[in-house]
Parts: sequence; C-alpha cells; structure tokens
Amino acid sequence: MTPLIEFQNAALGYGRKMVLQNISFTINAGDYFGMVGPNGAGKTTLLRVILGTLKPLSGEVKIHAHATEPLRFGYVPQRDTIDYIMPYTAQEVVMMGRYRQIGIFHKPQKHDRDIVLESLQHVDIADLRDWPFKDLSGGQKQRVLIARALASKPAVLILDEPTNGMDLSSRIAILELIHKLHEQDRLTVIFVTHLLDDVANYVKRVAIVEWNFFQVGEIDDVLTEKNLSSLYQMPVQVTHIDGSKVILAGGPRGN
Amino acid sequence: MGTNEIISTIIAEFSYALYGSIIVGALCAFLGVYIVAKRVVFLGAVLTQVSVLGLAITFLPFMMVSHTVGSLAVTILSVIILSRLLTGKKIPKDAVLGFVFVFSIAARILIMQKTPKVEVSEIENLLRGDILFVTPELFYMMLGVFVAALAVHGSFFKEFTYISFDAETARTQGFSANFWEMLFYIIAAIVIAVATHMVGDIFVFGFLVVPPLAAMLLVKRVKSIFLLSFFIGALAPVFGLFLAFKFDFPASPTIVAVASAVLILAWVLNVLRHR
Repeated sequence: MTPLIEFQNAALGYGRKMVLQNISFTINAGDYFGMVGPNGAGKTTLLRVILGTLKPLSGEVKIHAHATEPLRFGYVPQRDTIDYIMPYTAQEVVMMGRYRQIGIFHKPQKHDRDIVLESLQHVDIADLRDWPFKDLSGGQKQRVLIARALASKPAVLILDEPTNGMDLSSRIAILELIHKLHEQDRLTVIFVTHLLDDVANYVKRVAIVEWNFFQVGEIDDVLTEKNLSSLYQMPVQVTHIDGSKVILAGGPRGN
Repeated sequence: MGTNEIISTIIAEFSYALYGSIIVGALCAFLGVYIVAKRVVFLGAVLTQVSVLGLAITFLPFMMVSHTVGSLAVTILSVIILSRLLTGKKIPKDAVLGFVFVFSIAARILIMQKTPKVEVSEIENLLRGDILFVTPELFYMMLGVFVAALAVHGSFFKEFTYISFDAETARTQGFSANFWEMLFYIIAAIVIAVATHMVGDIFVFGFLVVPPLAAMLLVKRVKSIFLLSFFIGALAPVFGLFLAFKFDFPASPTIVAVASAVLILAWVLNVLRHR
C-alpha cells in the first residue's frame, strides 16, 4: 500500500483555537475513506489541511508526491457554497477544473474541451452540457461538480457532503456514482459526511470526527454496536437488511 | 437646438465629455458585472463615497497633492483596510460598509466646512464631478486606466471568473483567492477613484449596477452578459448626453436615467418572455 496522506500527531485549528489534536492516520493509494461527524466537529478543518489551504498548528502532515508530480486533488465542495447568480453552463463549470493545467495567460484548447466532454460523459450528463448550472437539479449539480473534479485528472477525489439536501433516489444515485469512480477508475476517494448511513455500505475505512474524539479504522471495526453506543451515549443497533448495513439509533422512548 | 446642432455641439465642444463618459460607462458596466455577481453592490457605493472623500482631503490647506492622487490614495488604502475588515467574523460585513459609507460622507462635509480655498459650492461641483468640463489630462488618465483595466481583465478573465464563482475550490487548485480578490478590488478602486473625479459618484455607482442588471435580464450566457453590459455602458452616455442638451437637464442624472430606462425595458421583456 502506497501512503498518499499521513497525519502524525497533528494538532489542527485556526490561530489559537484548537479544533482537533493528536491526529494520526494514513490514507493510502486506492483507499475509499469516509470522514463522519456532526457539523462543526472538525471535518472541514481536516479537509483544509489535506487540501493544503490550512497548515497544522503542530505535528506533521505529509502529502506524498504521486508519480513525478505533486498529489493532485479533485475537490467537490458543498453545493450551497457556490453562488448561482451567474448563468455558467455545465461545461463552463467543468472547464474550471482544467484552469490549473491550462495555466495563466492561456485559453482552453481542443484537448481541454475533449477532457471536459469526457468528464461529463463519465458522470452521465453530457446531454446537459449547455444547460445553465443554476437551473439543474441538486443531483445534476452534484454530477457537474464531480465532473469538474475529474476534469483536473486527480489522484484523489475529495467530496464534501455530496448528498446533502438530496432526495433518496438522487442520494443513492450519487453514492453509486462515487462507488463506480472508486471501483472502475481506481480513484482514491475521501468522502466527508455527517451521515453514518452514507458511508456504512460504501467506504472501506472511516474516521469518526466528534467533539474531542477522533477514531480511525476499518469500517467493520468502527461501525460496531458497542463502539457506536459508547460514542453516541445511546443504544445503537447495527444490522443487515438484504446484505446492506443498517444503523438504528435508540431514542429516549427506548426504541 | 435641433438634433444635428446638438450632435455637432457635443462632438465639437464637448468631445472629452462624450468620449470620457463612454469609456467610464463601458468600464464601470464591465466591472459592475463582477460587483453584482459577488453581491458586493454596496461596496461600489462605499468606494464612490470614499473616493469623493479622498478628493475632499486634497482641499485641506496643508495637503500638497493633486486631487486625483488624493482620491486614488484614499480609495486604494480603503480597499486594503476593507479587505481585512470584511474577512473577519466579529462584525457583520454590511455594518462595516455602512460605517465607512456614512463616515466618508460626514468627513467630507466637515472638511468642506473648514476649507478656505474657494466657495463650498465650487468644491461640491468638483467633488461630484462634472462631465461637461472634463479636462484633457483627466480624460487621457481615464483612457489609460480603461486600457490597463481591460488588458488585465482580458488576460485573467478565467481566473477572475473562477474566483468569483467558487473561490473555495479555486484555492484547492493552487489559485490564491486572496491575491485575485485584492487585484480585482484594487483595479476597481483605481477605476472608481479616477472615474468619480471625472464624472461624479451618481454616474459611477449607477453604471456599476444598472447595465449589469439589465444585461443579466436580457442574455443567458456569462460572456454575453459582460459584452452586453459593456455596450449598454458605452451607449447610454451617448443618448444621455443628447437628451441632457435637448431638454437642458444635468448630464450625469440624465445618463443614469437612460441606463435605468434600459433596465426597466429589460425587466419588462424578461417578464413577457417568462409568461
């Protein structure tokens, strides 16, 4: 296994505000890695450190080179962080994923346009390429953002809450698409969500990021009834229906 | 005056006013697309008032700098300070902008009360800009700003649009969002400072907002919005100046009224199109 990202006893935060400490884990090439936790627990801080837009307060974070060039991330942000006021078409949005490779002072060439079309086809929305991004459904928007990340030809695909606010069918379709990208394209995937259900049946390894708590492990080792009940301080049941893992949390009514 | 006589008078005697208002209108309308897209319209209003304050400061007895230099210096300094204040989370952004807006107006009034150089009304005219009396020096300076601003924006169109659309992802690809944002706002500050000195705050703020909005209602492609806004910004002053001469109206408000009429027409067309 080739390590791509290594955290060694890192403390993460902003200025004097510590968000996470004693963080040590490794993400290897080919991993399908989930990060689960409530909003504000530190998932975004972790992501920023991985993406290089935030430096750790202490400790070490190593981002290893991939082949001969720096590790390239394909980042899919939360949809609601994007302002939809300007009517960019789907392919204009995907082309933004090529801007780094195109370089300053240069314009997109045929090669870039081919990659954009290929990326749109890969996520099954090539027919929507001339549609305004802002007029697409939540699921279609998410596919455009995934296509944009793929257009940068990344070694690691990072998705921040990709199923947020989606209906059930769109959510499953996006989860299946990400699974396909991991399985067929051998992409290393980091999937950030606040929903345990989103990662339970897809990722191989998971990090639970909670207030003052951080745990990393194989999905079957972390998502156990004992571990989750202890973590969430309530009875949690992990069961299987038709081969899929289902997590049920008992509420105050004792269910 | 007949139509031909008005046109020949404008071209012969007020050519700097005509060409100056065209380049200011076009440039402000182009930059205004970003201002509207970034939802920082109030910042445009604030910077026009800051640039007027910069002009007013040059009237103080101990100030030995030209009006344009004073206006540019104060506006650019304000952009740099605002860029720090607006990224903080302790004070709401619109409150910061509101403070700078009202402070600029209050400070300008106080400075004018204490300036001994000339009559207050004359200073007020200079502060507000007067299209009809654009000097060749000011026109050529504005022309230089026009060419430089468009050259930078033409060269870095994809960087500016990417940062404006999704700064977070652009940052993960190695683009320095802070650098591009700062470059954008410094260009905007220079344009607003020189343009406000030349044609006044109503014209400048009007053209930062009205043509972009009209273009957004009329066309549905990003590049078309920039182009159409640019052309509305360039053409509205021509018709506005003509109407100002024809009906003896003040030039700036008439030009803004023409642009506003285009916006209302665009809105009506947009409503009819979606019925």
